[in-house]
Amino acid sequence: MSFFLGLLVISGCHENKKKKQETTSWKFSKEIPLENVSPIGIVSQNNFLWLSDVDNNRVVKVDLDGNILEAFNGLQRPMHMAIKEGKIYVPEYTSDSLKIIENGNVSTLELKENTDGIGGVSVFGNTVAIADFYNHQIILQQEDKVIILGTEVHDDGELYYPTDVEMSDDLIYVADAYNNRVQVFDFEGNYVRMIGWNESIKVATGLKVTDSQVIVADFEGNRVLIYDLNGKLLQIVSGKFNQPTDIEIVNGTMYVVNYKGKAISILEKR
Amino acid sequence: MKNIFKQIGLLALILLFSMASSTAVNAQTSEQELTYVKVEVKGLACPFCAYGLEKKLKETDGVKNIKINVEEGIAYLTVLKSKKPAKKMLEKIVTDAGFTPSSIVFSENPFEMKDEN
Repeated sequence: MSFFLGLLVISGCHENKKKKQETTSWKFSKEIPLENVSPIGIVSQNNFLWLSDVDNNRVVKVDLDGNILEAFNGLQRPMHMAIKEGKIYVPEYTSDSLKIIENGNVSTLELKENTDGIGGVSVFGNTVAIADFYNHQIILQQEDKVIILGTEVHDDGELYYPTDVEMSDDLIYVADAYNNRVQVFDFEGNYVRMIGWNESIKVATGLKVTDSQVIVADFEGNRVLIYDLNGKLLQIVSGKFNQPTDIEIVNGTMYVVNYKGKAISILEKR
Repeated sequence: MKNIFKQIGLLALILLFSMASSTAVNAQTSEQELTYVKVEVKGLACPFCAYGLEKKLKETDGVKNIKINVEEGIAYLTVLKSKKPAKKMLEKIVTDAGFTPSSIVFSENPFEMKDEN
């Protein structure tokens, strides 16, 4: 009897914990204006942020108050970046080239497939994923092979102008920008699920995947939408964004970059 | 001996002066060889679209420079007169890039631009 009671208590605690996770919401904390930066992508490194400044063809390193500490000029329309082991991966949209910034030096990673407008990049293990905007596909480049995800149009597993990509342990999340949704694939290229269709996302421009959430920037809708990993909507944050393009989480704080607003919106969990 | 140095100095000055004049003339000539195009586009809302159009226009033969105003949806082109693109060709580039051209204007003088990216 006591065994079953114990099980009941444990199960109740688990439910409460689950409920708590789902009811935790993000709230606006403040906005940090950026001086002459039109950001598209954001990644964090220690307590610094790297922003791709597309209008000015550069990547800037800023502190958590938005002060520019360092700039890498001469990049050709840099978009959604990735970071791994101290390397900043910067896709050049105009030149179809993938640059790597490491210890103050810029090098180029050779791509095995031709692209037409690299909108975003993600790096996980030995896989580099590339959002190939005008070819409506995601390219997974590994040491020994290349896998292509998606074809043009609007059905499940098809893409229409993808702008960003993120990889987790077993899945690939794609900001399927002009299909107004996020699509999820496995590493074999199989379609898994769709996220965001019911929320009438206007342009799903950028995304961030954490261990429990998928966070989407709706560029034209001026919103940020938060889902669990199965695609269940948890929260929509709106009202203070001005063309949000990308999201980063640092020490439990959310940083959202705004292209037109030339600012970083800060959100905290409450 | 002093006279020789003076003469060498004078020659160097003349050479420098003639090189500078030649560069100025070349710059003037290249300015005369340019023409300007203003392409207004519908649906140029996001930077991926705007810089996508920039990417496609850059591939056009004779295009020397492009400025995109994302907010106004306008692309300003500086083009070699000898390779001035046909209006229909520009319309096709805009359409192929996924947009609808609303107007394409040619001018012998640079357009006034509000924002330069």
